[in-house]
Amino acid sequence: MQILKVENLFKGFDELEVVNGVSFQIQQGEVVGVIGPSGSGKSTLLRCLTLLEKIEHGRIVVAGETMVETSPQGQVVYAPEEKLRKIRLRLGMVFQNFNLFPHFTVLRNITEAPILVGGISPEEAEATALQLLKKIGLQEKATAYPYQLSGGQCQRVAIARAMAMKPDILFFDEPTSALDPELTGEVLKVIRTLAVERMTMMVVTHEMSFAREVADRVIFMDNGQIIEEGPPQQIFENPSNERTRSFLQNYNLSFRA
Amino acid sequence: MLAIWDGAGSIRLLGLLLQGTITTLQIFLLTLLLSLPLGLVIALGRISTHKWISSPLKLFILIMRGTPLLLQLIFVYFAPSYMLPEGLSFRIPRFTAAIIAFTLNYAAYFAEIYRGGIQSIPRGQYEAAAVLGFTKTQTFLRIILPQVIKRILPPISNEVITLVKDTALVQILGISELFRVAKNESSRIFSTTPLFVAGLFYLFMNWIVTKTFHNAEKKLGYYK
Ligand SMILES: Nc1ncnc2c1ncn2[C@@H]1O[C@H](COP(=O)(O)OP(=O)(O)OP(=O)(O)O)[C@@H](O)[C@H]1O
Ligand SMILES: [Mg+2]
Repeated sequence: MQILKVENLFKGFDELEVVNGVSFQIQQGEVVGVIGPSGSGKSTLLRCLTLLEKIEHGRIVVAGETMVETSPQGQVVYAPEEKLRKIRLRLGMVFQNFNLFPHFTVLRNITEAPILVGGISPEEAEATALQLLKKIGLQEKATAYPYQLSGGQCQRVAIARAMAMKPDILFFDEPTSALDPELTGEVLKVIRTLAVERMTMMVVTHEMSFAREVADRVIFMDNGQIIEEGPPQQIFENPSNERTRSFLQNYNLSFRA
Repeated sequence: MLAIWDGAGSIRLLGLLLQGTITTLQIFLLTLLLSLPLGLVIALGRISTHKWISSPLKLFILIMRGTPLLLQLIFVYFAPSYMLPEGLSFRIPRFTAAIIAFTLNYAAYFAEIYRGGIQSIPRGQYEAAAVLGFTKTQTFLRIILPQVIKRILPPISNEVITLVKDTALVQILGISELFRVAKNESSRIFSTTPLFVAGLFYLFMNWIVTKTFHNAEKKLGYYK
């Protein structure tokens, strides 16, 4: 089943075109890694898909429901508010800076949205949250506040918070970039577990080895366009495009240095 | 100054000052009760991206913070009877005029404090809430406002302490609050004692204000 379909997406800020006609699809259970140089529009693309930015042109379909489309006259039309709310619930997002709610305990960070937005009973939400906490190895932190956690722990809680809404697809924007190197492993491990469970995910990352290992498909973006996409082996070992090649080469060089 | 201990005189003085204090506290509490929520509404309008909402409020805040409160008291009290055409003109009771002027003035100050607090909350908090499906109202009431309150407690407590002392200004309208009562008694008995005792009264009230805010800050100190 198709979870996400993006057609000819455009988004700019003032004069600057940031996403320049992007099209792709994601099937249920697929893990898609997105790589590309800084400023290539990866974050902006994710923000358009999660309704944090309004698009300028194109079409986005989530699980068969049109979230936004563009009329032949070029007018961008979003789904009506009620439908948009439902579609939004299918989308989860994990931010680079976690964005946990500092005044809530870990448990409440996870249960607040299911109770308030999802209409689930507090008991059920709590049970689900505890299960998720167990899964990420943080059940003993249920009553802690975010400031008492390490960055890696915060990001794992943020993942649990997103998962508690049972999204159809989970977006990650550089989930380990704000972390000390020794803390990235625990976060990547959680994402890997989700991948094994066939959670549909789109992960923007600078961790090439992670993308290579976990992604079913890798998208390389540059200048707001998808330059190349394909299975990790192809992208990393045998890129067909010159720009992909030079990006990976620079990357490897800077990594070794 | 303090001559010989005069039991009857002391009791009379305390009685007078306590009566004045009741008026002072009425002004203080009513002003707080009205200006704290009004300030929040003004702050939200001031932040609004609609210029026709934010611009007049900007001007309002400028005027309220830029002119003496004393003058505002006089203006609110006299304007309806002097500035309106005959037939429409009316008189506001002194006490009501005092409450209106104080509420507007303090709401302006509180609004700027709220605004600073609201704008200091990182954008990521709004975005995380939006992606989780919270409505704008839910986001503001459950995620943003609680964090704002924690951040603005210290500047708010400053204003509240000032308010306790500012209540003395309403004597310009002839309202018998603590300071005016003390002043009158001073002239009557040719002694500054009543004024200094009134000073102790103000100090005591602000000691309670300080303690209250200190407790509130401690209560909200459970997170960072
Ligand atoms: N809100 C905004 N207003 C103006 N310009 C923006 C805004 N957000 C992003 N941009 C610009 O859009 C371009 C693409 O930014 P984006 O954050 O999408 O890139 P990215 O691929 O995620 O980069 P990085 O790898 O550094 O995270 C950049 O030039 C950035 O300055
Ligand atoms: Mg980015």
